[in-house]
Amino acid sequence: MQDRVEQIVREFVARVKPEAGEVAVETPLYADGVGLDSLEAAELSAVLEDEFGTDPFQGETMPETLSDIVSFYATA
Amino acid sequence: MSETSTAEPRVVVVTGGSRGLGAGIVQAYLDEGDVVATCARSSTPEVEKWQGDPAVAGRFLFQPADVSSSADCAAFVNAVIERFGRIDVLINNAGVARDGVIGLTSDEDIDVVVDLNVKGSLYMARQVSRRMMVKRSGTIVNISSVVGRSGYRGLAVYSATKAALEGMTRALARELGTRGITVNAIAPGYLRTEMSHGLDEEQLQQIVRRTPAGRLGDPEDIARACQFLTDPRNTYLTGQVLVVDGGLTG
Repeated sequence: MQDRVEQIVREFVARVKPEAGEVAVETPLYADGVGLDSLEAAELSAVLEDEFGTDPFQGETMPETLSDIVSFYATA
Repeated sequence: MSETSTAEPRVVVVTGGSRGLGAGIVQAYLDEGDVVATCARSSTPEVEKWQGDPAVAGRFLFQPADVSSSADCAAFVNAVIERFGRIDVLINNAGVARDGVIGLTSDEDIDVVVDLNVKGSLYMARQVSRRMMVKRSGTIVNISSVVGRSGYRGLAVYSATKAALEGMTRALARELGTRGITVNAIAPGYLRTEMSHGLDEEQLQQIVRRTPAGRLGDPEDIARACQFLTDPRNTYLTGQVLVVDGGLTG
C-alpha cells in the first residue's frame, strides 16, 4: 500500500510539476517544496480518492508532505 | 445525430433528470447518442422508460439521490465514475421552489430551497470538477432562472438561490478555466413544467402576453441551449449566463 501511494503521488508530481524533481517523503508539497498550488492539490486529492476510495485532503488538516499522505492511508 | 456530435459519446450528468426540465435535458443528450447519468429522489415513469429502452441500453444510469445531501452527491458521482470512467458534462438542474411571501416563509422552506438549489449545486460541482481537472477538460452548466435576475413576488428564496448560482458560475469559470473546464449558466424563462405550478393561470397568461415569443417555454428550448453551451467546440465561452426566455426580459 505504501509503495503504491508513493508511486501515485510521485507520478502525479512528475506530470504537473516536472521541475520539482524526485519527491522525498518529507518534502513539503506546497510552497518551499514541490510547489503544488491549490488546484493541483485538489487534483491530487481526486486522483487519490479514485485510486483508494478515500481522500486524505478531506480531513481536518491538509497533508503537508508525502509522508502525511502515506500515514493517512496507513491508519485509514 | 446532429453535426455537433463528437465521435466518442460524452458522459453527461444531469441532476434532477427524472421529470420536467431535467427529463427534457436527459432526452436531448440521449438523442445525441451520449451517455447520460441522472439522479433524483425517486424514479418516475420517464426513468423507467429509459431503463427499458433498448435504444439507450448501456448508456443510461439512474441512481436515487437527494442532491441536498453531500454524501448522496458523492455516492452518485462515484457510481458514474465507476460505471463510465469519467464525466465530460455536468448539468446542475435539480432545484425546488416554495412560493409564499417572505413574511410567512418558514425556516424549513428556506433550508429546503437553499440546501438543494445552492448547496446541492456546489456539492456536485465540487465532486465533478475534481475529476474534470484530472483530465483537463469538461463543461458545467448551472440552470438558473430569470427570476434570479428580475425577481418575482412570492419567490424571494428561490430567486436568491438562482442569483447565487450565477455568482457561482462566474467564480467557477475563473477558477477552473486554466484546467480546460468551461462553466456557464442558463436562465430559463417561464416553462410548461411542474416548477411553474406555483403560478396560477392568470399569472401564466400575463407572462405569455408580455413575452415577445408569445408562449411559455418548453424543456426542449432549454435543452437546445445546453447542447450549445456544452458543444466541445465552445471552449472560448465561459462565465456567462444565457437567458432563454422568449425575449421576456430583453
